[in-house]
Amino acid sequence: MENYTKYKLKETDELVSLLADKDNLFVVACNKCFKEFESIDEPDCGEFEKLAAEQGKTVTGSVKVDFLCNKYHTEKELLDLIPEGTENIIVISCGLGIQTVADLAGKPVYAASNSLNYTGHHGMALTKKSCDACAQCYLNITGGICPIVDCSKSLVNGQCGGAKDGKCEVDCNKDCAWEKIYRRLEKQGRLEEFLNQPVQVRDYSKVNFKVISEYVKSIREERLDGYHGGVHPSERKEFSEHIALERFPEPKTVVISMSQHLGAPANPIVQVGDTVKVGQKIGEAAGFISAPVHSSVSGTVIAVEPRLHATRGGEMMAVVIESDGKNTLHESVKPNKDLDSLTPDEIIDIIREAGIVGMGGAGFPTCVKLKPAKPVDTILLNGCECEPLLTADHRVLLEFADDIIFGLKAILKTTGAEKGLIVIEDNKPDAIELMQAKVADCDNIDVVVARTKYPQGAEKTLIKRVMGRQVPRGGLPADVGVVVDNISTVKAISDAIQKGMPLIERVATVTGEKIKKPGNYIVKIGTSVKELIDYCGGTTDDDVLIKMGGPMMGFALPDVNVPMMKGSNGIIAIDTDQTKEMPCIKCGRCVDVCPMDLSPLYFAKYADEENWQGMKDKNVMDCVECRCCEYICSSKIPIVTKIKAGKNAVRGMK
Amino acid sequence: MLITQLKAKETIVSLVDGKKVFIINCQGCKEVRFPEKEAVELQKELAADGNVTGIITTDYICNPENMKLRLQKHMDEIKAADVVLVFSCGVGVQTIAEYLEDKKVCAACDTYPMPGFQGVTPLEYDCKQCGECYLNLTGGICPITACSKSLVNGQCGGSKDGKCEVDGNMECGWERIYRRLAQIGRLDVLKCPVQVRNYATDDEVSK
Repeated sequence: MENYTKYKLKETDELVSLLADKDNLFVVACNKCFKEFESIDEPDCGEFEKLAAEQGKTVTGSVKVDFLCNKYHTEKELLDLIPEGTENIIVISCGLGIQTVADLAGKPVYAASNSLNYTGHHGMALTKKSCDACAQCYLNITGGICPIVDCSKSLVNGQCGGAKDGKCEVDCNKDCAWEKIYRRLEKQGRLEEFLNQPVQVRDYSKVNFKVISEYVKSIREERLDGYHGGVHPSERKEFSEHIALERFPEPKTVVISMSQHLGAPANPIVQVGDTVKVGQKIGEAAGFISAPVHSSVSGTVIAVEPRLHATRGGEMMAVVIESDGKNTLHESVKPNKDLDSLTPDEIIDIIREAGIVGMGGAGFPTCVKLKPAKPVDTILLNGCECEPLLTADHRVLLEFADDIIFGLKAILKTTGAEKGLIVIEDNKPDAIELMQAKVADCDNIDVVVARTKYPQGAEKTLIKRVMGRQVPRGGLPADVGVVVDNISTVKAISDAIQKGMPLIERVATVTGEKIKKPGNYIVKIGTSVKELIDYCGGTTDDDVLIKMGGPMMGFALPDVNVPMMKGSNGIIAIDTDQTKEMPCIKCGRCVDVCPMDLSPLYFAKYADEENWQGMKDKNVMDCVECRCCEYICSSKIPIVTKIKAGKNAVRGMK
Repeated sequence: MLITQLKAKETIVSLVDGKKVFIINCQGCKEVRFPEKEAVELQKELAADGNVTGIITTDYICNPENMKLRLQKHMDEIKAADVVLVFSCGVGVQTIAEYLEDKKVCAACDTYPMPGFQGVTPLEYDCKQCGECYLNLTGGICPITACSKSLVNGQCGGSKDGKCEVDGNMECGWERIYRRLAQIGRLDVLKCPVQVRNYATDDEVSK
């Protein structure tokens, strides 16, 4: 494997003369990038410190930093690291790191290293191929062999005539690039085409660094808009975003899991043979962080037993009900008093008894969230739906706008918050327009439009994006005076109050490039995923990956005989991807995209070493499992799986 | 991690003119820059003629092993094509061309250098990898990249009101260096003898 290590220490003589008139040195070394990530201990820093000591210099401290040129991270941490009494800062890194520190430090900064000088730019993998970025790619003429990089003289009009036995006259270890080009084209039968081609003179004015620099800066600003990190996966929402909601046909049997929420599973309170009705409670909450479960059909209980669970990788207790097709309502399902006459505590009781949990996927019991330990001034309704493909929340916004506003008003009442903000990404202009019209006469409710970026809908990034507030590490939204709820959750709250209907159905998208007939459906909890897929015409072929949820955070379903749950916002059928995990090459992109400002590359490394303390020290518990790191990983490392293992181990440490 | 732009439409059309074509999009560096929408539009037009045997969108084709794994299930479509058209940087095209040695592999993009490439994030700083870092003589501002003329011995005298004579929008790199050195009380550094730049590459030096 190639090693693109970027710098080496300057010669001893030069360093000695550099240090001659300087003392009280603080040493900053970059841990290097684009190399196999084996050790985190680079020798250069120690070597320099040794040399400084030999010269009788005081070193006030030293620090090794990953990706020193990542200005965002360096800026956050560097100044606090420089000890008092430091007069000069010595940087060991490539030219980028040195310039970054020189810009930030406010003290004299000196380079103790030289950037290595090699030809061309490499890609993201550690291969021998490189590209000089000449802006006028010649590869079409040359059979995919680059004359600029591979020919010592960068000739574009054929070989110089100096090659001997196929070797370059400048460097006899190197094959003559033009002979390679000739041979490949001969093999492909393209010689004539090639020889008749007029010479394309190289245009050196094409690379205008200033234009490129400003261009990159503008892209960068757009990318980092709102919060640091995040990615832009292809949205592909056009499959289903304009398809109106349809009520999914009555399922014959439903499998209702007792574990559809975070916290303790509910305890079943029905037995085989019992007759149940729609909205009847069949599972009782088993603690403070838990939620009751209700029947979505009327009929007969035919089993109370563990059944395959979609997201927990095993069997969990479930109640199986055979529907009588009549949908007889349970007597407990009746409208409550109007919102004005309900007290905050009454509203919370209704929400708790209706079994409402976060329907964006996490499944945290909503009633717990609505009784925050700290004062809350703002409620954020998350209508971002930043996951690619999914359009369930989009349809809910369009078709249940009034219910959403009702639900939001109820939450405002329970929490005493002054303001409610409905946040919608700019890829849903119809929903934005509708909601803006609907809230026009509400003083305390506004619509906020956010530029599309993943993971916008994660609580903490949403708060950062909309409010500019930073939830502290290990903290909750309430710590910064905010509660975040999903659009579908709020719709469920409205149903619970206005109709007295507990959470027994939800809106889900069935989509993906491999689904024959995508659509958005109102689905009863407990409906089989297989029935959903079959109803949508099945998949286009068998080479398919089925997921519950979106392509980023969804759970792969090896078996589609699992039921829909309160948090199941979609079923997608997408293309499979064959890759294998490769060693980390420290490209640093995971650090650049992590919205929680973590260093995911360490989680991958430490999980393999079972260094759980190391993971804890790197704040693994702050990871929101958004999968941006995995999405961007050039080595295809299943980082989030490793993070989950780490989190479990860290929880076990306490 | 490089920036790519689509070649002119006429150029791309002439590459595939009437031939069967298989298309590979590499979006590994999309978060830096990839002309995704333009590429999709163009490919729709190409496909309208019925000559496209397949289109795949993948990432990091510069990683040969994973690239091969991903191409394997499309080998029939690739075999049916006369041309494999790759939308990626030059590294990606070369990697595919080596793997599909017998195929005509074409680049649909031109590749531009990116400031801050050596490092991991696109930056306003640039490093030319000159191999003999000047930054400790210049207060941490690079004369090779911050001066239009890459002068190493001070300003040329052509700047007006602090702006470069080559580009009136650019600040004179040497004036910036002077200001930075004055700010940190290190103007004496300017008295150092000039270090002439050695254009040899590290490979050549170490030979």
